[in-house]
Amino acid sequence: MKNFISILGSNSDYSTNRLLLQFIQKHFKDQANIEIFEIKNLPAFNKPEDRKAPHEVQELADKIREADGVIISSPEYNHSVPAALKSTLEWLSYTNQALIDKPVMLTGASYGKLGSSRAQSHLRQMLDAPELKARIMPSSEFLIGYSLQAFDDNGNLTDQRKIEALERIFNDFVHFVDITNQLVNANESHQKQAPSYSWEAK
Amino acid sequence: MKLVGIVGSNAEFSYNRLLLNFIAKNFKKLIDVEVLDIKDVPMFNQSDDQTNSEVIQNLNKKIVEADGVIIATPEYNHSIPSALQSVLEWLSFKIHPLDGKPVMIVGASYDVQGSSRSQLHLRQVLDAPGVNAVVMPGNEFLLGEVYDAFDENENLKDAQTAQFLETCIKKFIRFINVVNVLQSPEGMKDLSDAEDLYATGAIDTTVEGIDMSADDWLEQAAEATQAVEGNTYVKLNRGLLTVNQLNYFLNSMPAELTYADSNNQFLYYNHHMEKEDMLAGRRPEQVGSPLAECHPERVFSSVSWVIQQLRSGKQDVVRTQVPTHGPDKFVVHSYQAVRDDNGNYLGINEYVQDIQPVIDWYLEQTGQQLTGGDVDAVSGATSKVDTVSGATAKA
Ligand SMILES: Cc1cc2nc3c(=O)[nH]c(=O)nc-3n(C[C@H](O)[C@H](O)[C@H](O)COP(=O)(O)O)c2cc1C
Ligand SMILES: Cc1cc2nc3c(=O)[nH]c(=O)nc-3n(C[C@H](O)[C@H](O)[C@H](O)COP(=O)(O)O)c2cc1C
Repeated sequence: MKNFISILGSNSDYSTNRLLLQFIQKHFKDQANIEIFEIKNLPAFNKPEDRKAPHEVQELADKIREADGVIISSPEYNHSVPAALKSTLEWLSYTNQALIDKPVMLTGASYGKLGSSRAQSHLRQMLDAPELKARIMPSSEFLIGYSLQAFDDNGNLTDQRKIEALERIFNDFVHFVDITNQLVNANESHQKQAPSYSWEAK
Repeated sequence: MKLVGIVGSNAEFSYNRLLLNFIAKNFKKLIDVEVLDIKDVPMFNQSDDQTNSEVIQNLNKKIVEADGVIIATPEYNHSIPSALQSVLEWLSFKIHPLDGKPVMIVGASYDVQGSSRSQLHLRQVLDAPGVNAVVMPGNEFLLGEVYDAFDENENLKDAQTAQFLETCIKKFIRFINVVNVLQSPEGMKDLSDAEDLYATGAIDTTVEGIDMSADDWLEQAAEATQAVEGNTYVKLNRGLLTVNQLNYFLNSMPAELTYADSNNQFLYYNHHMEKEDMLAGRRPEQVGSPLAECHPERVFSSVSWVIQQLRSGKQDVVRTQVPTHGPDKFVVHSYQAVRDDNGNYLGINEYVQDIQPVIDWYLEQTGQQLTGGDVDAVSGATSKVDTVSGATAKA
């Protein structure tokens, strides 16, 4: 049994990405405990001089550290990642850098036909930045387009092919988590010596 | 040329703010830049619409009024900062001030790459259908290793960098002009010359021999024509009023009225307020001036287009809404053709009104409500998104 934390990339009261994460939580409950973390209560990022995380951010960081892996589900706003999720990642990168070396799987839902594909590619680039440096699972795009119509009244995905695709990716992720954590642990001695990256430590 | 510069950082101390201040200071002769901060803009939330807050309305107004926008973005985690992203979300949700606006991107960051990646993301965001800005291609101005870029007087240390920035700014000025022509109502054509906006000709009623631009044109012209005033009676169709009565009557109209004749000379407005208090400001000294002197050059093409519509009879009235007065007003400029009994074009009656009180009154009297708020806006964004996505759809 794996322990995952999932980050809901939308701060909207009604969110189709929340529906998606709830579906994942339910559908894979035999393989993993998945907690859904809401970012709507986090303060907006504004570079604090002391580099200290507010307690809501620290709470998220602790959960990330304890989890075997992280699932992020993002909508698409203006072809990119919503400000609320960007802000969450800025907090993590600027304070405790909890995402470094964490196995991450991405999903996304949006109202348009492309289902957040552009947001996801931005998100991958962001997670690759040196202060975040997550281990993102490659070749695993999972998108829900027309997300308002994608779920039935019980919150289940209606498209059977989507469910199968999700199962494949989720199974991959369970293995990816093991492999990645092995890799990271093998490198741990080396990790300890290398101080974590900071843009502003010039 | 009036530009706004948006500081893409919400940090207390920001190199991107320095960069915009430098641009404003150094290129004063070329452009007039007002630098705007985004520190106080709240985090975007689809379920908590704050479009009508003062900060967002202020940004909206400044952007709508500007000829172009310069955005200075830092790079945060290889993208644009959430603070800037949030602003662009507000400005693409219920309002769209950047739609069709010429935008130039600059950026400063710590890395040697100096915001190259965030600039690319910003281009893609500005290109999204809800934003729909017109971003100047090429001319990528990146300021890397920014902690070392400014001297103690907040000037760019490197002369070559400052020189390149100037080249970019000059290109942006030309870019703005090209975009304006592109977006003038008749497409590619610049219509500025279709009308004699300098009123160089004369019609029967033109008072000749007096400098149209003179501050006291009215006094001089009144003397030359021995115009009547005060309690002298004037016979009208149909009625009899003194000039005073006529003035008070026109001043009591629920609109700002302006008369420009068919020679494109501004002859009259119902002056009873100071410029600052008017919806469309006019000054007493402007009376008599050619229309060219009453408008900035960038709108000449649009002004000419409106006059052409009326003069040719294609339209009797052209209306535009001017969204810069805030959410509690709905200001409409109507350009109504003035014609004689035979239908000949005599000039324009421009009347400017805030019709919001009338709408409110109507709703109150009939007990009706306006609908079409939340749902539309988002699905509106979505349907626009669809049109675009078709082109780039993945298999
Ligand atoms: C400011 C704004 C911009 C948007 N831009 C896009 C877009 O570029 N592409 C897209 O597919 N949907 C876009 N949408 C619609 C979102 O997909 C939709 O609002 C929703 O947030 C999807 O995620 P959620 O249901 O989990 O909140 C946009 C919505 C907003 C409010
Ligand atoms: C959360 C965060 C992420 C950052 N990521 C990057 C980055 O990806 N690339 C970079 O060159 N600088 C990065 N920086 C450093 C910025 O370039 C630096 O803070 C810069 O001063 C920001 O511009 P400003 O001074 O206008 O706020 C980052 C800073 C923060 C706070």
